Amino acid sequence: MKSRLLNVLAFAALLAIPVLAHHSFTMFDTTKQITITGTVTEFQWTNPHSYIEIDVPDEGGAIKHWAIEMGSPSILQQSGWKFNNLKKGDKTTLVINPLKDGRPGGFLNSATLPDGRVLGNGPGRGPQK
Amino acid sequence: MDPGADPRNRLLMKTILYAALAGATLLPAQPTKTPDFTGVWGPFTAGRGGGDPKLAPPPAGQLVLKPEYAKPYEARRAAEAEANKRGEQLASSGAQCIPYGVPTMMSVAVYPVEIIQTAKQMTIISEAFSEVRRVYLDRPQAPLEDVAPGYYGRSVGKWDGDTLVVDTIGIKTSASGYRGMPHSEKMRITERFKMITPDVMHDQITIDDPVVLEKPMVYTLAYKRLPNYEMVEFVCDNNREYVDEKGVVRMRVK
Repeated sequence: MKSRLLNVLAFAALLAIPVLAHHSFTMFDTTKQITITGTVTEFQWTNPHSYIEIDVPDEGGAIKHWAIEMGSPSILQQSGWKFNNLKKGDKTTLVINPLKDGRPGGFLNSATLPDGRVLGNGPGRGPQK
Repeated sequence: MDPGADPRNRLLMKTILYAALAGATLLPAQPTKTPDFTGVWGPFTAGRGGGDPKLAPPPAGQLVLKPEYAKPYEARRAAEAEANKRGEQLASSGAQCIPYGVPTMMSVAVYPVEIIQTAKQMTIISEAFSEVRRVYLDRPQAPLEDVAPGYYGRSVGKWDGDTLVVDTIGIKTSASGYRGMPHSEKMRITERFKMITPDVMHDQITIDDPVVLEKPMVYTLAYKRLPNYEMVEFVCDNNREYVDEKGVVRMRVK
């Protein structure tokens, strides 16, 4: 109960100070989570955001390419990410918030790495370090 | 012969010792030791922070714009809220990788700032966008007309006891202000850097702008020391957010 109150206070404090990010996340549908499994074509460990480029086969076997946005390297390393956690050819499963406009893109919630580890997308998003 | 054995010598030595002790108490008080802010500091309440709520900053003051500036500002905020409801974000400088400048760079999401302090200069590096500002500690402020408007302007600092008071002028009007507030070239920013505990620092920011503001805007940022943290490189070379013809931020998928 007490910790919930502290959380509320901490959140209120967050609202009280100007906190800016690179962009808001309104373009992603955060009420919806979908899971995609496919083959990594590129892992971009870059600013202002990192990206997983991934080919995802549908039920019929046709390949659809997705671009999945992540936090910046600084934010990702708080979830235990390293620049070389994914590479071209790796199979991975991603839980994402899809783009609202229906194009094949989304915002990462969590990723299952080839070694089985599940990593989130920075503070408050998915599993933490 | 041992000089201490002679009672006259002992008396003399005692007299010298007492005189020295009395003299010490008569010396003027030493100036307060000024703190060294050198180190990496993360936002107190977000990300790597999560500090003791008792050390949190006081709530921000009210932003009161002069009526001619309040109207367009509120219209812009309303348009942003409207776009937000549609799932869109209106173009902002951050989304286009344009630096924030002073004072906004002091609080960018969960990113830390690194301070390097010497007797003559305090240098502040923000991890987000690798922004750098320099605060000169050994010279006076320049007249406003001598400072080319920029993102960081010109900052000088002087000590008020254990608090470093930093004066900044010369911020260009296109640099994003506090919560997107407009500002004139006459904006003056006064910051008071103070160590609350050895590991918690506050930066009280006062924005004064006789053209735009009815009264100075005051807010305080709190930071928690991040020992051993190594700042992460941040070069904005893969910005896949773009602004479409409607002024809305979108993500390039391919």
